Amino acid sequence: MLKVLDFFNYARSKSPWIVHFCSGCCSLEMLAAMGPRYDWERYGYIMTPTPRQADIIFITGLVSKKILPALLRTYEQMPEPRYVVAIGACAYDGGPYNDSQSVIKNMTEILPADVFVAGCPPKPEAIIAGLEELKEKIKRGEPSASSQGGLWKKMKF
Amino acid sequence: MSVGAALFYIFVFPGLLFLLLWTFFIFYFARKTLAYVHKRVGPHFNGPGGSLQTVWDVFKLLTKESITPKSADPYLFNIIPIITPLVAALPVILIPWTPLINHGHGILDTNYGVLGLVVLIGVEPFLLFLTGFGSHNKYSFLGGMRILSQMISMEAPFFLAALSPALLFGTMNLYDIMYSNTYLTTLILLPGAVIFIITMLGILEQPPFHIPDAEQEIVYGFYTEYAGTNYVLLKFAEFTEILVVSAAAVTLFFGGFRGWGFDSFLWLFIKIVLLGILMVAIRASNPRLRLDQMLKFTWSWLTPLAILNLVWIIFAKLYILGV
Amino acid sequence: MEKLKNILNKYETEYVEDYKSNWVKAKLKNKEDLLNLIKDLKEAGVKTCSTVSPTDFIDDNKIEVNYFLENLKDKKNVWLKVDLPRELENCEIDSITPLMPSAKWHELEAYSTYGVKFKGHPNLRYFLISRDYYGKFPFRKDFDWKAHEKNLIENVNSISEEFFEEYEENEETFDKEGSRTVLNWGPTHPASGPIRLKVYVNGENIEKVDADIGYVWRALENLAERKDFIGTIVAVERICFMDNPNPMICYSQAVEEIAGKEITPFAKFMRVILGETGRIASHLISMGGFFGTMGLQTFLMWCLDVREYFLDVLEDYSGARIATACVEPGGVRYPLNDYKAWFETLNKAINEWERVKDDINDIFLKNPLMVSRAKDNGIFTKDDVEEFYLAGPIARASGFKTDVRIDEPYAGYGELEMDYVTCENGDARDRLFIIVKEVNQSIDLIKQAMKKIEEGVEAGEMNPAKDHLVRMPRRMPAGEAVTRVEWARGEMLMHLVTMDKSTSPYRLKLRAPSVNHTMVLDRLISGKTLSDIPLLYGSMHICQGDLDR
Repeated sequence: MLKVLDFFNYARSKSPWIVHFCSGCCSLEMLAAMGPRYDWERYGYIMTPTPRQADIIFITGLVSKKILPALLRTYEQMPEPRYVVAIGACAYDGGPYNDSQSVIKNMTEILPADVFVAGCPPKPEAIIAGLEELKEKIKRGEPSASSQGGLWKKMKF
Repeated sequence: MSVGAALFYIFVFPGLLFLLLWTFFIFYFARKTLAYVHKRVGPHFNGPGGSLQTVWDVFKLLTKESITPKSADPYLFNIIPIITPLVAALPVILIPWTPLINHGHGILDTNYGVLGLVVLIGVEPFLLFLTGFGSHNKYSFLGGMRILSQMISMEAPFFLAALSPALLFGTMNLYDIMYSNTYLTTLILLPGAVIFIITMLGILEQPPFHIPDAEQEIVYGFYTEYAGTNYVLLKFAEFTEILVVSAAAVTLFFGGFRGWGFDSFLWLFIKIVLLGILMVAIRASNPRLRLDQMLKFTWSWLTPLAILNLVWIIFAKLYILGV
Repeated sequence: MEKLKNILNKYETEYVEDYKSNWVKAKLKNKEDLLNLIKDLKEAGVKTCSTVSPTDFIDDNKIEVNYFLENLKDKKNVWLKVDLPRELENCEIDSITPLMPSAKWHELEAYSTYGVKFKGHPNLRYFLISRDYYGKFPFRKDFDWKAHEKNLIENVNSISEEFFEEYEENEETFDKEGSRTVLNWGPTHPASGPIRLKVYVNGENIEKVDADIGYVWRALENLAERKDFIGTIVAVERICFMDNPNPMICYSQAVEEIAGKEITPFAKFMRVILGETGRIASHLISMGGFFGTMGLQTFLMWCLDVREYFLDVLEDYSGARIATACVEPGGVRYPLNDYKAWFETLNKAINEWERVKDDINDIFLKNPLMVSRAKDNGIFTKDDVEEFYLAGPIARASGFKTDVRIDEPYAGYGELEMDYVTCENGDARDRLFIIVKEVNQSIDLIKQAMKKIEEGVEAGEMNPAKDHLVRMPRRMPAGEAVTRVEWARGEMLMHLVTMDKSTSPYRLKLRAPSVNHTMVLDRLISGKTLSDIPLLYGSMHICQGDLDR
């Protein structure tokens, strides 16, 4: 039985699909990662148009207050098991917008991320490397961080 | 037909296993060729040359949570994805796949093969409309409406084009049509074949007619709410339909499994893959049409042309073949 | 110029003076005169309002409203100021939107952030800011945002509630039996980006489009007030990452103007090269995105391939691909120790574009399906350009000759040879063609600038290893400046106000072109079918970053 589950975890780790959601500037580097030079499809990542078929959601950089409900709603629409990847300094603590009024600084307290990718914005190589980290986590069958807790459960969206 | 043979047909060839392998193959093949045109590599690291990528994709989707939205009609939403691949796979029994099965005839050798084929292919989109209808999502519903209007306008020229070989050879038996085909008749049937391939793109929702699941316009059309297993089943139906319609095109117009030197399934497969390459090439170089442009194109160009084609076929039958 | 001055002198003004080569700066005494003055100016050809920018002088207890009015044909512009009392009840002025529709959203923005009420505005409402700021006017100097931050969850919940209320309302207004409904096109839509278009549809036909913006509102204008003059670059360059260097050039010029410094010729030409590289990188995405909206990814991928080579140029120079921070007040940030090696990278990128140019032209720009969809679709006439102030490529696609690089030359553009590139029809297809033409023009400009630098170095006038930066004072004198650059999407205007001996900007107004381009979407899309939304939306080359700021 354990072997079968391992097999499915392995299959899951090999085919991470990413929902098309951009909330900030880092989505430009996601576009570059899709492009010919970096081409993350080599590793099996593709973008899906709807959250229903996705495994991973990106917090692409800054999250303003207004887009937060939409982000959480998209996350909620994804089927289990679902993972969160935080890209860029903004997703961690607001980054260059740390002084700004309308940007959420504690984004990963609200929606805990499994992997952080550093940079402002991170290079496409870094994004792919971060996703490879996530693959290891999926392969081990660990539950995602966002399913363990986070303020998002208290919010209305 | 013995029980063993029946089980073999259902589960191995040309049934479940074959269709599954085809799904894995064509998904991988389309991704890889499209990536080549994009100046990318496509799936590369999972399996040799990325060939296991689609296998992992399918197994992953099978283990994902299968969501039924709260407002969707639960019966319609969940039953249609089971019926759709079955209906899509039905025409498989009519098509002559290989000389090894039934002496080259289809598994069900009937004199109304063409009729059965076009009817069974034509039923499919109405089921997809029901998926959009049952999802209770505005975008899904729009996708469903679009597929319906596309289907109604595409099916008239599709039927007329599929009739042309039957008219030329005076039979609806697919085996007879295949063996009556010569180089000369292939040339005579060429206008019909072109119309058939264009309408085939429309019926399979391939570019430039991928209007019902237009990502940029209506999210993902009727697929929007589907997740996990249901999504796999619908995709499986889609790829099965691609196989069936391409095989129908090859059988009707390009001599099926007949080839140079020997007759084999290999020839059929090569011809289908060539059609697949044509489809990918069109996908890679052409943008989507608007719905009203598509309607105008089918009704004011394609349908009259298909009727003219029948006139041409009768003319050719009388004066070129001299029957 | 004299004509404009005569008109302004008819009214009671504190001063009327020349500013730069083609601006007249004036301050009105009575705010009641505003509408009559605007009427007179409009008759004299000043038909467009670039932006409305209030400045909060809390010590003088007044709010100064700046109007930047432009004559796009003769390039004679007016900078008008009016003082208003700071109290919320009395802080009101006549709206100029009925006379100049281009001011519509700029006035809404001024109202939402500063609380300046515009009497007679067709639909005065809160705009851009999220719901938790309604009625609080966050850009005023006395707004305590630390206190506001404390109730984060309540604030976010209130935003959700607004959406739910709207949803309920829509469900009630639209009959379930009929075919009319509202589609929320965005912010999670695959083609939209962070913007919400409320599309009122009847079946496939669109009746009305209402844009809901503010999803990437970062309050950059306010953020700049909390950073020093160098640090503001971080805020300014993040307007939109697609074309990164040009906003920094605009900001740096404003600071240099206040400090009264002149930059070196080497830095001028470096700014040209960097700016044009950024423009090309942005245009390549716009071009690809245009086809992407019609479901064709190939062109996007080819463009991204070429774009990588231009990003290599920026990376070679600054170490970052898109967040370069390569221009700063006083020149450009880094010296070029080995300028020949960098030019080699540039040439490689240019060759890459020249290599694919013909293929792109043959395969995609002549594609019959694209032509059948985009030709004669979504036309803007020259009058529309003036009325709604469409800028940059959109205006030039309609045949309007406007380009800040020529009208008001900055950096090294005055010494380079260039001409307006235009198309004629102003339809969606022309808005694609103009972008391709502009990329070719930019490459030409880069080549010219490279040549100038090479000549300068050979003649011993420039030293790339030393000349890059002029020392700027840490504390600025009091003053204000308006600078414009031709950004990838159109004219960018910055209005910088400093106080005496200050270390950070007192007020920085960023005016970006996407605001006006989004404003006209309703006019552009209404009456079309659902398939046209992504195409026409993509043809406006909107970036949400500079739409919301």
